[in-house]
Amino acid sequence: MSLKHRFVLAVAITLVLSVPVGAHPMEGQNAAFVQGVDGPAPGPFMYLGAKHMVTGYDHLLFLVGVIFFLYRLKDVVLYVSLFTLGHSITLLAGVLGGFQVNAYMIDAIIGLSVVYKAFENIGGFEHLLKVRPNTKIAVLVFGLFHGLGLATKLQEFTVTRNGLVANILSFNAGVEIGQILALTVVLIAFVYWRTHRSFLEHAFVTNTALMIGGFLLTAHQIYGYVIYS
Amino acid sequence: MSQTNKAVSPRRIALAAVAAFLTALLLFVTAVVPAEYGIDPLGTGQLLGLLALAQVPAITTESSEYRLDAAELELAPSEWVEYTYRLEQGGSMLYSWQATGPLRYNFHSAPDGAPPGYAESFDAKESDHAHGSYMAPFIGVHGWYWENHSTDYVTITLSTAGFYSDAHEARDRVDGFHRLTDLRGNKIDHVR
Repeated sequence: MSLKHRFVLAVAITLVLSVPVGAHPMEGQNAAFVQGVDGPAPGPFMYLGAKHMVTGYDHLLFLVGVIFFLYRLKDVVLYVSLFTLGHSITLLAGVLGGFQVNAYMIDAIIGLSVVYKAFENIGGFEHLLKVRPNTKIAVLVFGLFHGLGLATKLQEFTVTRNGLVANILSFNAGVEIGQILALTVVLIAFVYWRTHRSFLEHAFVTNTALMIGGFLLTAHQIYGYVIYS
Repeated sequence: MSQTNKAVSPRRIALAAVAAFLTALLLFVTAVVPAEYGIDPLGTGQLLGLLALAQVPAITTESSEYRLDAAELELAPSEWVEYTYRLEQGGSMLYSWQATGPLRYNFHSAPDGAPPGYAESFDAKESDHAHGSYMAPFIGVHGWYWENHSTDYVTITLSTAGFYSDAHEARDRVDGFHRLTDLRGNKIDHVR
């Protein structure tokens, strides 16, 4: 395959991953359920959290970027824990403290987090901008933003105070379960891919495609912000 | 953290970043905007058939007859009344009711063939009014249960329009059918 073909393929894959750019689908029946809930409902909220993570391609693209060059399981666990810590803090604090931010702006920042990580992966900061931002802090900070997005989404529906803490904790637990499920699949794919020489050959192109996905998410959210806010 | 090939030149990185941005912008304008918002600045939505994705079905056509109903129901203190319609699956109606005092109510539906006493509840609150639209998730009887917990008489004024047959009223001891009106306002007997 020529470089051009590889690039087209990578773009196509990214497109398939990011085209239905609603990013956080909690619509129809699920939304109606959340609105109707009064009291603790751990099962459904855990399910919604897991579904949110598995079907939220912005989170998934970010995680792909984060673990791209993490070869040791120890590092994967460390970075994913930082991300989890970040989004748990803002999810809990956001819903309990009742602070809400504009969902489109948050989702635009999440899109930029994908761009940021992919840009770092192609050596953009080190070789082009000649800076070395701390990766661990960046992942933690973007985790905080992702959590704020989750909190805002949950609060768009009138979640009653009754059983609120139990429901957020369940939602958060579901998010972790979904994250582990998604990560397992992504990691298996990476472990397999890394045994091939093509991994390093295509790393640059793949991360460029990842940037396209991130920019697309960001553009869509900014457009939504301009139209609906 | 390891990076890609150290040999990658800054020029190539910058080029990749700019190319990624421009590609995203191009895809956004040519594919995402037409498909998601139905706006087609470059005509690519038409060309690729993406515009169809943005169309929300605004109309659901119905095969059964269009009917109107207005009912006035008086409730003595601690009395209850149940008022229901027969609707096919997917049948819709618009409703609006107003009461002279707060009532406990419950909008529920009992599917045909369900065991006696079984109903799915869709809206249960305490209020003196509710307006909305309803689309029946299954064939059966669909309607309100109102209970007067106050010490005063309360009158409910209900008006509906939609694709139901039959209106049925049930109280503590009495039970009966209401006559619906058709599109022209003529009374029609309840139909089975």
